[in-house]
Amino acid sequence: MVLHPPNLRAILSAAGLFACKAPLLHAAVVPQEPVYETQVRPILKTHCTHCHGEEEKPGGGIDLRLRRFLDAHTKDGEPLLVPGKPAEGELMRVIREGEMPKKGKKLSPEEVAILENWIRAGAKSTEIEPEKLPPGPFITEQDRKFWAFQPVKNHPVPQFPDATGLSPVDALVREKLKTQGLDFAPEASRPELLRRLALDLTGIPPTPEEVAAFVADKKPSAYANQVERLLASKAYGERWARHWLDVAGYADSNGYADTDSVRPHAWRYRDYVIRSLNADKPWDRFIQEQLAGDELTSVSHGKLGDAVQDAAKFDALAATGFLRQAPDGSGDAVADANLAKNQNIADTLRIVSTSLLGLTVACAQCHDHRYDPITQVDYYRFRAIFDPALDWRKWRTPSQRLVSLYSPEDKQKAADIEKQAQEIDAEAKRMEKAFLDGIFEKKILEIPEGERDAYRQARATEKTKRTPEQAALIKKYPSALASFNLNLYDPKADKQVQEKRSEATKLRATKPQEGLLTVITEVAGDIPKSQLHHRGDHEQLKEEVTPGELSVLQGPELLKPEPTLPTTGRRLAYARWLTSGKHPLVARVLMNRVWLHHFGRGIVSSAGDFGKLGEMPTHPELLDYLAGKFVASGWSLKTMHREMVLSRTYRQSSHHDLSVSKDPENIWYGRFKIRRLDAEAVRDSMLHSAGILNSEMFGPPITAGRTTEGRIVAGVEILNVNGDVVKVDTTNPAVNRRSIYLQMRRKMPMTVLDTFDLPVMDPNCESRASSTVAPQALFLLNDDFVVQSGRALAERVRKENPGDARAQVRSAWRLTQGREPLPTDEDRFLILLSEQTEQLREYAAKHPPAKDAPAADPQRDAFGSLCQSLLSSNRFLYIE
Amino acid sequence: MHNPSPLCSRRHFLHTGSFGLSGLALATLLRDEKLLAAPVKPLLGGETFDLKPKLAPAPGKAKAMISLFMMGGPSQMDLFDPKPMLTKYHGEKFPGELIYDNVAEASAKVFGSPWNFVKSGQCGMELSELLPNLQQIADDITLIRSMKSGVSNHLQGMLAMQTGKGTVGRPTVGSWLAYALGSETQNLPAYVVLAHPSGLPTFQHQHWTNGWLPSAYQGTLVRAKEPYILNLDPPEALAGKPQSRQMDLLRTLNEGHASEHPGEHDLRARIASYELAGRMQLAAKEALDISSEPKHILSLYGVDNPVTADYGRRCLIARRLIERGVRYVQVLNNGQSWDHHGALIKNLPDRCAESDRPSSALVLDLKQRGLLDSTIVHWGGEMGRLPVLQNDAGRDKWGRDHNTHGFSQWIAGGGFKGGLVHGETDEWGHHAIKDVVNHYDWHATLLHCFGFDHTKLGFIRNAATLTLTDGQNARIVRELLA
Repeated sequence: MVLHPPNLRAILSAAGLFACKAPLLHAAVVPQEPVYETQVRPILKTHCTHCHGEEEKPGGGIDLRLRRFLDAHTKDGEPLLVPGKPAEGELMRVIREGEMPKKGKKLSPEEVAILENWIRAGAKSTEIEPEKLPPGPFITEQDRKFWAFQPVKNHPVPQFPDATGLSPVDALVREKLKTQGLDFAPEASRPELLRRLALDLTGIPPTPEEVAAFVADKKPSAYANQVERLLASKAYGERWARHWLDVAGYADSNGYADTDSVRPHAWRYRDYVIRSLNADKPWDRFIQEQLAGDELTSVSHGKLGDAVQDAAKFDALAATGFLRQAPDGSGDAVADANLAKNQNIADTLRIVSTSLLGLTVACAQCHDHRYDPITQVDYYRFRAIFDPALDWRKWRTPSQRLVSLYSPEDKQKAADIEKQAQEIDAEAKRMEKAFLDGIFEKKILEIPEGERDAYRQARATEKTKRTPEQAALIKKYPSALASFNLNLYDPKADKQVQEKRSEATKLRATKPQEGLLTVITEVAGDIPKSQLHHRGDHEQLKEEVTPGELSVLQGPELLKPEPTLPTTGRRLAYARWLTSGKHPLVARVLMNRVWLHHFGRGIVSSAGDFGKLGEMPTHPELLDYLAGKFVASGWSLKTMHREMVLSRTYRQSSHHDLSVSKDPENIWYGRFKIRRLDAEAVRDSMLHSAGILNSEMFGPPITAGRTTEGRIVAGVEILNVNGDVVKVDTTNPAVNRRSIYLQMRRKMPMTVLDTFDLPVMDPNCESRASSTVAPQALFLLNDDFVVQSGRALAERVRKENPGDARAQVRSAWRLTQGREPLPTDEDRFLILLSEQTEQLREYAAKHPPAKDAPAADPQRDAFGSLCQSLLSSNRFLYIE
Repeated sequence: MHNPSPLCSRRHFLHTGSFGLSGLALATLLRDEKLLAAPVKPLLGGETFDLKPKLAPAPGKAKAMISLFMMGGPSQMDLFDPKPMLTKYHGEKFPGELIYDNVAEASAKVFGSPWNFVKSGQCGMELSELLPNLQQIADDITLIRSMKSGVSNHLQGMLAMQTGKGTVGRPTVGSWLAYALGSETQNLPAYVVLAHPSGLPTFQHQHWTNGWLPSAYQGTLVRAKEPYILNLDPPEALAGKPQSRQMDLLRTLNEGHASEHPGEHDLRARIASYELAGRMQLAAKEALDISSEPKHILSLYGVDNPVTADYGRRCLIARRLIERGVRYVQVLNNGQSWDHHGALIKNLPDRCAESDRPSSALVLDLKQRGLLDSTIVHWGGEMGRLPVLQNDAGRDKWGRDHNTHGFSQWIAGGGFKGGLVHGETDEWGHHAIKDVVNHYDWHATLLHCFGFDHTKLGFIRNAATLTLTDGQNARIVRELLA
């Protein structure tokens, strides 16, 4: 009973789902004369050299890393290969007979055919190989030539006689379109265009008034003005921060451990990102702050308390929360704390490398990368950059890495209150003991008189100091002990004690609110030894390594930290190199992701993998243009948004039959590809159209609560005496704040967001999936969130158009469909509405509301139920 | 090892499309078997999890499971594990070491069972007079008298029995089975939890949590009253015609929109997803509606008797769900209603009266339909009880405190040996001493019945492969199997 929608693959590809599934080698074509460097060696690297060359001692003495090594013989004197004769030689024999590779998968028939053809053609190599080769993996010229490791280039922008004045973006897109026999679609209609732009830049649709104003604006700059208006809105930062928080792995909980404990101060990093984006903070600075804000402001661990009081330094320190986003079990009860710490470091490196380098560096944690030229030594050199800040032997758990934002006065005030509270606690303890002693005096009468004195003595003795006889006596009459659990003996007395205790709790609540900030810093002068971990195991430490960039990107020289800093300066030096404009990956990776968000697909569709297993760029010149422009603009993201959204490529209509039929996945951008709103945009847009979105910015997240039906919603859990949730209080209007302000617990995703593919932060998310599944349909039809949004929308349009049913319908249409209804739409809606109202009225008459429930409003509910359909419609849920 | 965090997708309990790979369970197994042909890409994106039916690596007899979970800790010495020593020394001081949960009412006095035991079936299994219906199917059940979890309290005990260890956050057995085997039906959830009419069980969602497995494998809660399944049904006032009108408007809107975008298949897929949702609504309603069951079946389960009506109805629904392809059903009791710290002599018979007939009927019914061979029925809780009395304040107040060192449970079907009594507790019924079955041994045996090696069915998380039995020295208790 599985539903197969037509051409599901096309749908998924648009979402990037198949991006990672393409085989390494295109099976159908086996070249007659394969090239050693590009076609043969990668096969040997994938399957063989891990044991034969990259380990300290090559297996069986056979080293397969270089062409000339293949001229060797085995220990038994057999030649490894005989040029011209693929049927002979040990290499092919062991492969054919399945003897090798011993571990891992066997070679595919295509791979075997490539090797055979190469040997048949003479087993030649075309490039000069290094004369000396140290043991271990090595990086060849061929590796360095891979497109992603080449510097960003300036490509000539093509000119078209039939279309002058194209922007570089459009010219580079059109060049490829032409090769496919395609051209741009006409420009989208104004309402479509503004809705697309607003959802894209701010995550919420435009108001009908904004649409009307744009449609009426005849100035040539009308569209550009809308772009500027939206880029300047505070909602812009809230939208685009979400994209960055995905790759940064932002969450309000620690993950890793099964309890998924709350991370209550993470939001300050979230707010920093929103502020930075709204201010168009240059991204070189933005990246430097996140990787090394402490070093940028010359702050070492000892100076942190003062530094956070300095407004000039605060943002840079808050930014270092980036390196504290990875799941972290080190503060929870976990089986192996050292493993948890090292896993946190590995996840942090994974976040840094996938977000900024677009490489799967993490694959080299246990062994050399099988496909990309990243060695295990590279991995630990990369890790050494972060070792002084993330030293697992001198670890700071999540609660230990918080710095108080208390001013000196607040600190004193809090200490005074704490002292009083402790006095109350002590009094409660005295009360409890007095009650228990009283109970004991009664209980002891229940045991034989002869044993009473001994029992009394046993009770008065500390548990660990009791003699075996005393312990046995207590065991004999366990219930007479009355040393603890007052609630079991005398609940009333226990209540008095608890009341006393709650006085202390109440008093503590009057302390000045203490803000806490999560930061990363180094202790001045504290430099841990960085070592390679054999097989990624922190208990098997091998040779010492020095900090450095991946060899393929920088060569073996050390990063050069500033000597004047109180700390090692490694992260700052690294951040400066990343943002120097010379790094081949950073600007490309960032621009690719920005393009992905605007156009629904990356130029490199595997946004987190620019390596050999990633996809090749469809428009490499365009990617280079964008990367170059980004750096030249002073790393201004808003400049790059303008480059993209002002382009003709972006402004195209989503209707273009030729493009749909020839290029359904829209690889060549011959139209604007329609796509579903992401989770946050679904929720925020519904609240916005219904007129109930609370636009308050910043601050601690709105908590997630689990209702008794099993929904996870924004609100406060109300517990009974046993600690079970009886309901979730959703009356606080803050529950309708934008989704970015909702608590993101890794294991308690809000139902509305989870339903629409909210990512799991484990540790971060490179690019989101977009699914079309039946539970989404059930959610839209029946979930309380959508029902309530529908009702709110109905109330809104009724209030704004009192007494005019047709005007109400038109208003609802504009708010959800971005257009006016046709007269037939209107008629149809009104017929349904009158039937619905009639039926709900009958229902209400038969079902009087519960005692505390508000009176039914059949007319509002009927209108609301149909508004719900408007909010669930594809025109509302998709950007076109 | 790579973390599967690809495209960061959560999957839901039902899929319309055949998205992506068949899930990591299979991938992990295949990797072991060296059967994976394509290069294993770094898992950056794309790994998705679904509920399509999957084959176990070895043919297992069991295909489905119904767990009649008895939260609270049923008293083994009053139901399954006769102890003449208790009767003999009733009221005297217990000679061994005891750990109490409730010290205020603690006592060291031996408490002999007030009930007689009856030799039942061909096998002569001794069962309490409180379980007359179970006596009738003694030859079909395997009784384990040597269960042991050793953890301290209700939550930890329940977690040990349901998730392999006494710590929160791990996946329940049902989630493992849904993950490993998928579902035989895409119109119903793979893993269904039938809650008691009084509400959710003591530890709420912990009873059916997917832990760190993808959320697709979470149990779907079916409440005993509306709404049965979250979001399956419209709010009451909108049920029927009003929802049809909503759908009517929605269809018109979506068709109009899709016709403006010919060739954009996702729009069509979304329209179709409503049809699947509709089928699910029908399928779930049909499965939960027992009105079509013949009278003799209803009375077999005791649906016609107020005492057994609720539990009987839910056992019957469990059978209907299994028949329709659901992989795992858990039937929950009211809170922890077997937790008899006091008034045991009055309350234990009441609990038995509610559940004895329906539980036994379920086994008989599955058997007569030929489903028992492929369905495991499990009856048991998270712990047992102490040989001494609690609350020495008069016979009607006597109860028994917790005991996780020795307790009983029974199993029928799915390859278990009928008429077998396995293991022993000491002469007081306190500690399991012979042929001990730890909770993890039980899990290893269960997975074996489904065709899985408990050390290999794993999920990669935090760079480690995690399993249901996770590093505990679990043993497949082959003696239990036919």
